[in-house]
Amino acid sequence: MKNIKKKVEDEIAGGNIHCNSSCAYNPCHFKGQNCTFCYCPFYPCHDERLGYEVPSEKLGSVWSCEDCLLIHRDFFVEDVMGTIEKEGLKAGDPRMREVFEDAVGRLWRPGKAVMVVGATSDAGKSMTVAALGRIMLRRGYLCAPFKSQNMSLNSRVTSKGHEIAMVQMLQAQAMGLTIPDFHMNPILLKPKGNTMSQVVVEGKPFGDYDVPGYYNDFVPGPGRDIVRRNIEFLKNRFDYVIMEGAGSPAEINIYDRDIANMRAAEIADADCILVVNVEWGGAFAYAIGTVELLPTEDRARIKGIILNNVRGDPEKMRSGAEELERRCGIPVIGIVPHVDVQLPQEDSEAFRGVKTRGNGSLRIAVVKLPRIANFTDIDPLYTEDTTVVFADCPEDILSADAIVIPGTKNTVDDYMWLVSTGIADAIKMMRGKVPILGICGGYQMMGAELVDLKGIEGREPGTYAGLGLFDNLSYWEKYDKRVVRDKAELVDGGGAVEGYEIHMGMSVVKEKPLFNITSFGRKGEVEGSVREDEMLYGTYIHGVLDKPAFRKKFISLIRSRGERPAEKVCETEDYNAFVDRNLDLLADAFESGLDMKRFLEIMGVRE
Amino acid sequence: MRSILFLGTSSGAGKTTLDAVFCRYLARRGMRVAPFKASNLSLNSYVTLGGEEIGMGQAFQAWASGLEPTGDMNPVLLKPSGSGRMQVILRGKPYMDISRDSVMDRDAVMEKACESYDRLMSEYDAVVCEGSGSPAELNLMKTDMANVGMMKARGVTSVLVADIERGGVFAAIYGTWLLIPDELKPLMKGFVINRFRGDVSILGSGIERVEKLTGMRCYGIVPYETLKFPEEDSMSEIGGSLGDGDIHEEFVRNLDRLIDSAEAAGVDLEGLARLLEE
Repeated sequence: MKNIKKKVEDEIAGGNIHCNSSCAYNPCHFKGQNCTFCYCPFYPCHDERLGYEVPSEKLGSVWSCEDCLLIHRDFFVEDVMGTIEKEGLKAGDPRMREVFEDAVGRLWRPGKAVMVVGATSDAGKSMTVAALGRIMLRRGYLCAPFKSQNMSLNSRVTSKGHEIAMVQMLQAQAMGLTIPDFHMNPILLKPKGNTMSQVVVEGKPFGDYDVPGYYNDFVPGPGRDIVRRNIEFLKNRFDYVIMEGAGSPAEINIYDRDIANMRAAEIADADCILVVNVEWGGAFAYAIGTVELLPTEDRARIKGIILNNVRGDPEKMRSGAEELERRCGIPVIGIVPHVDVQLPQEDSEAFRGVKTRGNGSLRIAVVKLPRIANFTDIDPLYTEDTTVVFADCPEDILSADAIVIPGTKNTVDDYMWLVSTGIADAIKMMRGKVPILGICGGYQMMGAELVDLKGIEGREPGTYAGLGLFDNLSYWEKYDKRVVRDKAELVDGGGAVEGYEIHMGMSVVKEKPLFNITSFGRKGEVEGSVREDEMLYGTYIHGVLDKPAFRKKFISLIRSRGERPAEKVCETEDYNAFVDRNLDLLADAFESGLDMKRFLEIMGVRE
Repeated sequence: MRSILFLGTSSGAGKTTLDAVFCRYLARRGMRVAPFKASNLSLNSYVTLGGEEIGMGQAFQAWASGLEPTGDMNPVLLKPSGSGRMQVILRGKPYMDISRDSVMDRDAVMEKACESYDRLMSEYDAVVCEGSGSPAELNLMKTDMANVGMMKARGVTSVLVADIERGGVFAAIYGTWLLIPDELKPLMKGFVINRFRGDVSILGSGIERVEKLTGMRCYGIVPYETLKFPEEDSMSEIGGSLGDGDIHEEFVRNLDRLIDSAEAAGVDLEGLARLLEE
């Protein structure tokens, strides 16, 4: 405690230092944060809008303010620092309480919620949320993304070890946040195949539900309250909560049980923006039909319509947009052009029907597992001189220059598919000829055995022979899930990787490890498997290709069998920086197509 | 009315397929039926025995009807040739290039299209028409030919095909109906929901509400099928999966399979056929 008092003394003496970019942890909350009060002079404030009690081993419970953003906002620091300096207050002065209460009373207010709903799936809701968030960030506002319920097999792990949808992490990045957490996606539905989904609540597995069970038991039971408390949490901390709906808000057959759209908007008291994808045609009909099917009080929340993904001359849409405005009384606030940005995709559905991506000289076969999960792992490959082939037959494997076996929600069932399609044999034939990388479920498949005696993973209990590329054995003993973030270094040197593990099932590893774990408190742990002489690589770490170190190594092993040699062996850009640049391009496209005056009116901003 | 027009709530809603299914269904019952699409925007064309160029979709629909394709079945074919230019094929022959400087005389072309339609009506027992894209494109409605164009010009009875796969299907049906000009709404007799997966009973309340709001009748819910059917715009990709046999025979076998599964799912093809007698 004394030590902290000294630190606060030093902070006050140092004055307002704004953002300390020389700190190794910067930005620990958000880009451009004010770092003056690394230690809060008002601790413990016990203001429940800013912090909360957490259990403590020593004290029973302790005040946590690690999610407080107010103390890192410039306007707040300037204000309280002014008072502290004027009054000559020292750390621990009882009058600090008054300073705090006065400043919070004047400067704190709950954030505004705005919700993006879509006329269909794939309307561009997620990207609209990301773009609007980046636009507001550029204007100096602190925003948080929110999607009450997301159905996706593409999840990521937050720094506190919670599992949320990948796309909310991406949106948080668009909004300049470095600490995305479970509040941003409190309900995650992970389809397991058949009709069941695993429901992840506030970052932890909650249970398995089928569709009727989810709508009849979960939603009316805990569902509503989960949505309410997490929206509340975010509104207390951010200027804006930019919410995303799910599918269409006008599914009138399940209207009263839909907590992802207008019910969430009502709980958050959010104004809504309707996004319609014009690519498939019928956009005006979808827009007016959606609006007109909503009950009056919900319809009143829709403040603007965005016509999204317009190819060609946007002016051609103008007369239709004006007519639409006249017919439904809601302004069209944007005609947004189609933009080619390279950002991680939310749904594997997005590449349904797509056979290859890119036109580079290295042909990389990514096995198109039926329950492919965390397929954003392969996104960094698109930035290289590659043609990515989504392989669903042996020929795709036999013609490849490298093979990637990605993750899956169900290793055993998907391995059965791999065998039945002949892809398993094709991969074995390519052993030693081309580099092969298995990630998570794909890594498990590369082993000698898959042991699922209780039928936890597959439909039938049993032991299955794997690809046998490694001598490892994977097993499923109990319904349990490992969710953890990893930092690691290549065992043989060459650099660092960063990522996360999400898996049911564990492995007994009998191979040389690929990585040394460097995460705090886990020194000495190793991860993955490697056989250099046969170019075989396996790891549980999702995102293993994001940092250049391992990607460079893997790509440098690939020899093109095509006529053209690889033009550039490898870009060394961090994938995160690449994504960030693309988020800017996305926001630029939206700014160009939005009527900014009308948009900012909806946001309640006057410029 | 001896003709019927399948409209779609969007591109790719399944108009072309359902049109072919219905042609095949009528042909199997011994009717002499011809397909028709007033205007088609596609780069995927077929050349008839008479040397006329028409949309591939109408060629397949002709085979479904047991006919050889003819130029009348798709009198206007628009082929985008890049950089804002578009080639107009009229009754199978190159007619003009649309560009910034040269505008098509829509009314003159529409008249020719109607002549083709009339000829088919006089030669066949029934004509099954296909719309183009969505009929509710507010910015295009004035110049439309294949959708409200045909409804206005020949008062064709219409049925809406709505794709449920992306969600928002009730909004799509209701919104399309709302935007159809009031004087044409009486022609809108019903709708079909396409590409549904799962338990049909979940849709019931939504369908009832839309039926009540629009006065249209739901003619059925077509189950999702991974049909080996040549898509209008991407023949090359899917054509390979039609098997080694004769492509027309394979195609017609696929249609027969789809008719069976549609009827098993309760799609009222019989009811749609009755619309031709009204």
